Amino acid sequence: MSGDIELVGSFADEHECIHGVEALRGSKIQPARVFTPFPSEHLTEALGYGRSPVRKIVLAGGITGVLTGIALTVGTSWEWNLIVGGKPVVSIPPFIIICFELMILFGGISGLLGFIFNAGLPEVGEIEGYNERFGSDRFGVVVRCPESDSGRVEALLKEAGAENVYRESA
Amino acid sequence: MAAAADRVEAPSYADVDRSVLRLIAGLPGVKYWAWIGFNATLVAIAAFLWIRQVYVGMGVTGLRQPTMWAVYITTFVFWVGIAHSGTLISAILFLFRTRWRTAVYRAAETMTLFAVATAGLFPLIHVGRVWNAYWLLPYPNERYLQPNFRSPLVWDAFAVSTYLTVSAMFLFMGLIPDIANARDASTGIRRKIYALLCLGWKGTDRQWRHFSMAYLLMAGLATPLVLSVHSVVSWDFAMAQLPGWHSTIFAPYFVAGAIFSGVAMVITLLVPMRKILGIEDLLTPWHFDNLAKVVLLTSLIVTYSYITESFMAWYANDPIEQMTFHMRYYGPYGYLFWMMVLCNCIIPLLLFSPSIRRNMVMLFIISIFVNIGMWLERFVIIAGSLAASTVPSQWGFYTPSWTEIGILVGSFAWFIMLFSLFARFLPIVSMTELKEGISWLRQALRNDYFSEAQ
Repeated sequence: MSGDIELVGSFADEHECIHGVEALRGSKIQPARVFTPFPSEHLTEALGYGRSPVRKIVLAGGITGVLTGIALTVGTSWEWNLIVGGKPVVSIPPFIIICFELMILFGGISGLLGFIFNAGLPEVGEIEGYNERFGSDRFGVVVRCPESDSGRVEALLKEAGAENVYRESA
Repeated sequence: MAAAADRVEAPSYADVDRSVLRLIAGLPGVKYWAWIGFNATLVAIAAFLWIRQVYVGMGVTGLRQPTMWAVYITTFVFWVGIAHSGTLISAILFLFRTRWRTAVYRAAETMTLFAVATAGLFPLIHVGRVWNAYWLLPYPNERYLQPNFRSPLVWDAFAVSTYLTVSAMFLFMGLIPDIANARDASTGIRRKIYALLCLGWKGTDRQWRHFSMAYLLMAGLATPLVLSVHSVVSWDFAMAQLPGWHSTIFAPYFVAGAIFSGVAMVITLLVPMRKILGIEDLLTPWHFDNLAKVVLLTSLIVTYSYITESFMAWYANDPIEQMTFHMRYYGPYGYLFWMMVLCNCIIPLLLFSPSIRRNMVMLFIISIFVNIGMWLERFVIIAGSLAASTVPSQWGFYTPSWTEIGILVGSFAWFIMLFSLFARFLPIVSMTELKEGISWLRQALRNDYFSEAQ
């Protein structure tokens, strides 16, 4: 909304940052984004996020890998129906190894691509509210709110332990 | 527990950044480039020897019937084994939430990638006609005949290439937040390169949420992968009906040996690295103590495997199998077998002593012995079993040529050169995970976890 402003609360401690997010959400204010120097499960919970869809992408990748393995081994054996040493044309135990390796390969590639896609990478532009210290030793909570709410937001963040609350853009 | 509280509260997140980022700041000095140049020279000599081998033919090696697998395949298995501890430390210990792994896992993971990359060269060197190496890939020939998927060599091609790809992706993913950190701390062209490598990472809640899930799943996938890869490598031998190779215990035996040699190699690399880079505060004796315990455990498993293997040969009462093992102990390669026992079974027992586990010089020496012992183990199994097989009239004992020795030495130089380049230009210690560890300790202290534990 054009009349909104962005307030950034900077925290020195992960748990104070989590308290800040909980306080905001308790007041029906959802932070626009939170910057942290490392992943925090508690923060993800505090923000009310569900599980990442990456797991479904990895599952789909793994299943595709197994099916590719079956197609490759069974398909090529059927294509050239040659019995070697009296063994069955479709020998399940050795083919499981190929299917297993392809499951891991496709699952892994899907995981990386799923992460990159869902995380919005590559991120070419600047993200509003980003401060280089948020990658190092500070936690940043960015809140977009109407000008009239800024006092309340600032008070909530400071009460939770924010070292500093500043206005990012008008 | 007040003393412990003081100790863990002392480093801040910024301290971690300062300690790690100073390692990659500025340009390296003359000594560093001399070290890289020395290793590059050895690699160039190995490359020359390989080109000569391609030009002249495999006759320049010591490979003769019946011993057609020897130093090259031994070195291939050795490097694949070395790779395993990286994934053990980075993936398996990650799933178990083992705290001591945080400072060492990046170095171990880097070692994994470069060890697999080194291992992958050896089948290409060994096949002689390298231009036909693509026959291993699932690619039909002119009669539309695909590779034989029942062959353990094809399984190996799948397993090792999957391992290389997944290890590279796992390492890259873990590096992204740390490279972003390096980007924010640097300027000029270096900043641009780091910005490109970290894909513009900013550490938002959205990015971390998907990162955490993908990293967890990648660790979950890498865990069975690491166990499967060396099992598949062991089946290169175990699937063949050759006395000394055809054994059902090979898969767990090789996996334990791989972790044993790999963790020893981590110690070999980290002991000088912490001194040279001055990161004694990050890599403490506590980390080495834990690594040494893994070496000790796997040494005992390997020793147990040697005993089981010999027991089975005796108990099965098969004269040919018994002759193979007799030749292994007392034949022309017998001295290598007993050196292997000394290096892998006896010397690591010193690690029962806590003071030795925390003594860097002793650890370094023991780790070198383990590396030598594990290379010898593969040589004794591979070349020793082929040399003295079923029919004594066909026995033939192998001696490596200078070409093979030169390429073996070159492989070590190649590995060390890649590792040294990585350690100087990218974060070799994970800042992200160290900070996570600090946060965990702060929370534990806040909850008075340690006094409760007492």
